[in-house]
Amino acid sequence: MKKILSFILGSIFALNLSISVANSAANEVRVAYFLEWPSPNLEDMMKKNYSKALGIPVKWTSFNTGVEMTEAMLAGDIDISYSQGLVPFINAVKSNAPIKLIDIAMEYGMGGTTCVTSNASGITKANASELEGKKVAVPLGTMADYVFTASMEIVGADPSKMTVIDMVPEDGAAALVSGDVAMACLFGGNSIAAATEVGSRLISVEEARAGGILGIDITSVTNKFMNENPGMVRTFVEVTHEANDRYRSGKSDMSSMSKASAMEVSKMKGTLDGFKFLTPEETKQSMENGNLSGFLNGMGTPSGNVDTSFLPL
Amino acid sequence: MLTQFVTILIIISIIGCILYGRRLIRTEKVDAVFGNPERAKGGAHWVIVGSSAILMLWLYYSWDIARGFYPKSANELCQVAKINESLLGLKYQFPIEEREFKSTSIIKIENKNLVKIANEIKESPDLNDQQKTILVSYIDRTSKLIPFLTSEELIEMDTKIKIQEMTEQIKQLSVNFQKEDYPYETDAQKNERQKLVDEQGGWGIVTIDSGSGSIENTIEIPTAPQTNKGLKFHAAAKELSLINDKFFKLRNHNPLFKSTIKQLKDDIKDYRKALDDSEEIASDYAKNIVKIARRIEFASIYPPNALNEMQAAIIEFDELQKKEQAGLRLIDILLFPSGTIVASGATCSEQGSGRWLPKPSDTFNKFVQLSKPSVGYKNVPLLWIKLVDVSKMIGFILPDWIADILPGEYPIHTKDGIVKDNFKSNVLKVVTGDFKLFKVPVPFGHIWDSFMRVFLGLVFGIIIGVPLGLFMGLNRFARGFFDPLIELYRPVPPLAWAPLIISVLGIDNTGKVFLLFMVSLSIMIISARAGASGTQLSKIHAAHSLGASKKQILRHVIFPNSLPEILTGIRVAVGMCWGTLVAAEFLAGTTGIGFVENVAKKYFQWEVIWITIIVMGLLGLLFDVTLRKIIDKTIPWRGKG
Repeated sequence: MKKILSFILGSIFALNLSISVANSAANEVRVAYFLEWPSPNLEDMMKKNYSKALGIPVKWTSFNTGVEMTEAMLAGDIDISYSQGLVPFINAVKSNAPIKLIDIAMEYGMGGTTCVTSNASGITKANASELEGKKVAVPLGTMADYVFTASMEIVGADPSKMTVIDMVPEDGAAALVSGDVAMACLFGGNSIAAATEVGSRLISVEEARAGGILGIDITSVTNKFMNENPGMVRTFVEVTHEANDRYRSGKSDMSSMSKASAMEVSKMKGTLDGFKFLTPEETKQSMENGNLSGFLNGMGTPSGNVDTSFLPL
Repeated sequence: MLTQFVTILIIISIIGCILYGRRLIRTEKVDAVFGNPERAKGGAHWVIVGSSAILMLWLYYSWDIARGFYPKSANELCQVAKINESLLGLKYQFPIEEREFKSTSIIKIENKNLVKIANEIKESPDLNDQQKTILVSYIDRTSKLIPFLTSEELIEMDTKIKIQEMTEQIKQLSVNFQKEDYPYETDAQKNERQKLVDEQGGWGIVTIDSGSGSIENTIEIPTAPQTNKGLKFHAAAKELSLINDKFFKLRNHNPLFKSTIKQLKDDIKDYRKALDDSEEIASDYAKNIVKIARRIEFASIYPPNALNEMQAAIIEFDELQKKEQAGLRLIDILLFPSGTIVASGATCSEQGSGRWLPKPSDTFNKFVQLSKPSVGYKNVPLLWIKLVDVSKMIGFILPDWIADILPGEYPIHTKDGIVKDNFKSNVLKVVTGDFKLFKVPVPFGHIWDSFMRVFLGLVFGIIIGVPLGLFMGLNRFARGFFDPLIELYRPVPPLAWAPLIISVLGIDNTGKVFLLFMVSLSIMIISARAGASGTQLSKIHAAHSLGASKKQILRHVIFPNSLPEILTGIRVAVGMCWGTLVAAEFLAGTTGIGFVENVAKKYFQWEVIWITIIVMGLLGLLFDVTLRKIIDKTIPWRGKG
């Protein structure tokens, strides 16, 4: 009896201990990023400029979705998420995740995230209400989910009458090709390229911009890391904006960026053309009373999750 | 209230059952020797202990016990967490949580970086000697910046006074904090706070936005202080965060440092300007040196003893607030295992096991909500009944081409704009189910869809797998022909087929059922084959000598003999199918338990995730229990021959 009791108590103690140890600080900075989602600072990732600037090693891990980034941050495995979608971030802070938005990675029109209707279905913007009753592929809980809802509003179709199928972009593109769905909402250069081979964008990039559909990817950081290392967060933001500056002046090293993002140079350039990398001043403006703050308010985001103190540099 | 009751009941039942079990061992006489299965029979009390222990673990690690017995503890801990958050930045400057001063570690890192860059420059083949000397001189000047910051003599009076002020503020806070009536709340403030507290509700309020699937997560932890103790911490946290902000704005920049760094920056700037395009590498190195200088400028570096008093004040306050927590600290350690409440700006949240392990009471509540057909998940109920006309089923079963192959043409509208039905169009109506009969209730919903997928996959697997397996066990051609095929595909994990499924079979049920069919097929073939080849030869000989035909031997000897193997195979297949189902429904979901779990994951709805896990466990159990009953009915001779 004593043995059993001491075993149970011992294992409970060990479990408590192991979980608390797992979250303790490490002496490296762990950053999450996306493949197939190019940005100028990937060049610095390849050339290890971040670890030079921060003075300690930086470990980059690629993720598939922003949701997974949040999960890894909550588990204490990631300190900074670069180019996390705004929608996953909002879902995370709505469920009280202790992470903060510190910077805008990029703004993009419908170039990077869009809905594509198949040519076989014969649906265009003009007869978009025919989508009602049909199947559409949407990666739920991502920026594409938001784009889907917003575009349906523009074309005047009722999304609640459609059968929404939850599919990641690669699968969505495959389903559009095979004709299983009438429309697929996607992000990522390769997926969109595959989808537009058999279909066309429901609304053009210009129409989307005019309709106020805008994608924003952000940089988020765990509260713990921000409190402990404000200097490092600042340096990270600084190096990132330097890379953006270099890109704007046309001095980026495209081949190392394409290696880092696992894309061909030509495709990558096409994707990059749809992105807008803001200057520090523009970023601050967007965060305080521009696109970003409008987006956050529109989605009913709880306040106090945006920290502009690291900008402008 | 319910949680408290359940917790106490569990403890009583565990202790009671253990005591009963021990008494039973002493009093009961067992004739069976060790190894006899008779000894394992009975023992319902151990079932109670086992399930109670699971529930107890769940209650404990989800912090439901803490909520049941101390509903206000989370709110108080939230206030404590606010203090910790405000203190964290300050504490991190000193060797309290860390091994060394922040200043020390920054100096160490930057010195290392300077040495590194100096070595790189000296060894670089792309730089000429003149460039090297200039760059190295810049590095020397940068490293000489640090003593300007760490010198006791150079620190400005103004900075000293500011540090002194902050230290005094912390000390004053410590004194105030010990007072009974801190933070001296007036009646008006108290009323206002009370109003806030009433509005925000308790710990873990559940609100469900019906139908949309975006079950808005709960206000996890109420943030406004409910108790006087909480208020104390709340007020102190506010003061501390002000001090914290002030400290981080303060820089130890004396005039000498300022002028030196400005000179250095200007020099480097001029130097870089003077370089032409061919000397880009030198320019880059110069830029990196400026970066280090700027980092030194931005960092909070102070002389070694300048902050001693402040450190003492912070440690004193930290000790004090820990003492002030008193019983709360004990609750935090004992009832909030593996994690605690963490403040993040204005809000507080559960971090640790309480986050991903929802409380049993919440989970139950949410399950009740989700089970309502009007709520459901993503517009589909979990399990409900809808009325479907029998005609639809007839239309589904009869193929549409029956109407097409009949002689004659489909009716064409007349001049008056009227369409007259003829025989052919009437037949079409029947085969497409476009008519009215009576309605029958048919179940639908997430659970039913998942169930049907597993059931269909299993049935197809049995229909094809069992005859094929028997055939392979009895026939040389079949064994030789199918063996390589089956053996090649059998070891492939079913999920390896997943990437192909959407492209080949589409996103409807076909693909998912096919995946499950693949799982069950190989198991059924193997078990049927083993059953057929394992039939005792003497039985077949006996039947043969009694004049049985081939068909009769198969029907009356081989099949009944392989039935135990087949039924065991089905039981294994059911388990495997449930295992694959979730992954299959992740692929392209519109309904199903796996779909629910996948979507809930994206919105961090932990309760829903656990509900799906439990539902799947229960359904698997139901399948298994049913099969065990069938096995007992159909092959009562098993294990007795």
